[in-house]
Amino acid sequence: MSRLGHLLGYRLAGRPLLRLQRRRDERRLDSLRSGPDRPLEPPLRSIARMKEMMSGHYLEGRHASGVRPVAWVTSGASTEILLTLGFFVIYPENHAALCGARRRAQHLCEVAEDAGYSRDICSYARTDLGALLSGETPVGRLPRPDLLLCCTNICQTVLYWYRVLADHFGCPLVLVDTPFQYGPQPQPHEVAYVRRQLEEIVPVAERVAGRPFSEQEFTAIVARAKEASETWLEILERARHRPSPLTAFDAFTHLGPIVDLRGEQATTDYYRGLLAEIDRRIAAGIGAVREERYRVLWDNLPIWYRIGPLSQWLAARGVNVVASTYAHAWGELAPLMDPLHPFESMARVYLHPILNRSAGQKLEAMRGMVDDFSADGVILHSDRSCKPYSLGQIDQRDGLVNQTGVPALLLEADHNDPRSFSEEQAASRLEAFVEMLGG
Amino acid sequence: MTNSLRCPTRAEVVARVQAAGRRVAAVLPYHYPRALLRAHGFHPVEVWGPPGVPRDEGGRHFQAYTCDIVVRATSFLLRGGLDGVDAILVPHTCDALQGMGSVLGDFVRPTPPVLTLYLPRSRRPVDHEFLVAELRRLGEALAAISGRVPAPADWEAAFAAEDAADRALADLYARREGLAVTDREFYTVVRSREFLPAEDFVALAGSLAAGDPPGGVPVMLSGIVAEPLDLFDHLSAMGARVVADDLASGRRRVYPLQDGGDPHTRLATRLLGGPPDPTRGDPIAARARHLREQMGAAGARGLVIYDPKFCEPELFDVPLLRRHLSAAGLPVLHVEVELTGSLTQQTLTRLEAFVETLR
Ligand code: SF4
Ligand code: SF4
Repeated sequence: MSRLGHLLGYRLAGRPLLRLQRRRDERRLDSLRSGPDRPLEPPLRSIARMKEMMSGHYLEGRHASGVRPVAWVTSGASTEILLTLGFFVIYPENHAALCGARRRAQHLCEVAEDAGYSRDICSYARTDLGALLSGETPVGRLPRPDLLLCCTNICQTVLYWYRVLADHFGCPLVLVDTPFQYGPQPQPHEVAYVRRQLEEIVPVAERVAGRPFSEQEFTAIVARAKEASETWLEILERARHRPSPLTAFDAFTHLGPIVDLRGEQATTDYYRGLLAEIDRRIAAGIGAVREERYRVLWDNLPIWYRIGPLSQWLAARGVNVVASTYAHAWGELAPLMDPLHPFESMARVYLHPILNRSAGQKLEAMRGMVDDFSADGVILHSDRSCKPYSLGQIDQRDGLVNQTGVPALLLEADHNDPRSFSEEQAASRLEAFVEMLGG
Repeated sequence: MTNSLRCPTRAEVVARVQAAGRRVAAVLPYHYPRALLRAHGFHPVEVWGPPGVPRDEGGRHFQAYTCDIVVRATSFLLRGGLDGVDAILVPHTCDALQGMGSVLGDFVRPTPPVLTLYLPRSRRPVDHEFLVAELRRLGEALAAISGRVPAPADWEAAFAAEDAADRALADLYARREGLAVTDREFYTVVRSREFLPAEDFVALAGSLAAGDPPGGVPVMLSGIVAEPLDLFDHLSAMGARVVADDLASGRRRVYPLQDGGDPHTRLATRLLGGPPDPTRGDPIAARARHLREQMGAAGARGLVIYDPKFCEPELFDVPLLRRHLSAAGLPVLHVEVELTGSLTQQTLTRLEAFVETLR
């Protein structure tokens, strides 16, 4: 039945329907025109394809159990090994972000809180645990995992969270522990540690998938992941152009495939298409914000439930948030990937995300981005429920102000839980910040 | 006190140790290799907050949603509380201490050098191998400060002293029911391991008089640190007695001992050998089983999980621990506190109500 469901629900009916929906979306996007009353350009047309890909992914997820081995993985984890073995991969963080963007997160957080999960834990975790406990999700249904893969290169929180999942599902939990990088370069024993753990994923995943691992296929997938990540980075770097053809909010929206579907050919193709569309904007002299007066860098996760209003609000004041440390995290590692030495290079890649580097290195990276993107200011989202990203921001803000001379604002919020966001307070702090940009 | 228990303060110990020509390392919670520090000529003095130090100075570096251990320890440092120590060791226990190690090292840059130690999050052979190398790295950093690379005799002496103290700590727990001490006295001694030289700790632990402990409704205490110590007075006034613990500042650091071999390997084996612990990636079911066994052995009727606010490693486990233990008929109370030096009326009321239900 599950194979039949997969065939009918996903391949024969679902995908063609999504294709139709995409064409409708494209026609609608084509009909949108920029105008003096609209501070933002109409969304990039590629968004329709992105929606098709992500909806297709979650649709396949509904029918994946029993057809493909299913793994739930953390966003910083190495999925290339799993893809080689034919796993269907779900990223609970991405699912939680989707719930946040669709304003379903608060309710799901409350479900988790009713079950005893504290409001002080990460709101992604609460959102997903709420979805798990209630069975409610905007994507219809998430497939039950056969394997959990947790990599600590974004936080320790994911391990606490995945231990809860392991208890709930009773499936194997594979850990890739990535020592935090207090210094600029990983130590040889740290690289060796991560490399061995990556290699040790293989026999466990083979057992779950019931098929052998192919080095050749693995190399090809790493190569595709590298190409997709490089293209993603190129896209983000196009924001150096004045006016910038995209905003960081666009980048947040187009992030899904590089997180969830990295290593698939369709993802590389999709980002090539997006890059071409952005280049057409540049050639036509079109900026994402109609009157780009100020350029700003964003630090930390997006405020998913406020992306639209916040980007409108800022654009109305001539502010383009041109880059973010968050979206860059999935591109900046591309140069480290080496398909000819996949395990060794992946060990370095997975040790290196910005979240696994010291507060001082993060300040260094932000200073570089202020220069590279000619930013006039920085918004540091102080994210109540993402401690690893947020701790250090107070000193980073001071460092940015002192070392680059641009204003920097610490904006208190939470990436998924709207109860930790005060509209009035944020508006008045942002007003003052925009005034400083003008000064 | 039933014993003539005299425990020096941390400041007295620091002065005494330094007068004897040894270096002092301030150490943040909670797993670290004591014998390694000792072999390199350092005496560890742990910093758990400290409670009662205002958050103000620390709050200039860390947001309001950061736990008290990190914020108050930073305040303490900035107020000069760690002046005169020769190094600060911040083990990578959690995201909060990761932030602290990173901010101290990159921005605050206190005079004593800030050292870090990454603790692997599992207990596989690959973790052991990594930890051996990581301990070597830490040793090199200590040697760079002290100018002293331990000779075999230094290692031997360090292990002899620290093993004796670890044995004394384990023995203290084993003798709990035969000691005529209050909970406050018992935990005063347990926690003196945080700063007393090993020899002094052995002597203090050995000085406790045998006899019957005071009675009371038996409870087990889990969580990070039982601060303030008044907690024990309150529990005792409520008619409760702490018969077992799973505290980060207590029993979670009763490690199995090994003899001989390469010192770093020996230390890694020891550090990875402690009981199930939320900061080490152990399955929650294994934690629940461990707690159930401890409670069964000690006759505890309920579990109090007692944590500083915003402690994620602890918070994630609470609902499932509650479920697993309730299924075994063992009720659980979770209490979050601020390390202000006193307990709020609300906390006391909740504790009292819980103890009532256990009678
Ligand atoms: S704590 Fe931060 S990095 Fe970790 S899962 Fe939550 S949002 Fe992601
Ligand atoms: S109280 Fe919890 S969050 Fe704070 S330092 Fe200790 S283990 Fe980390």
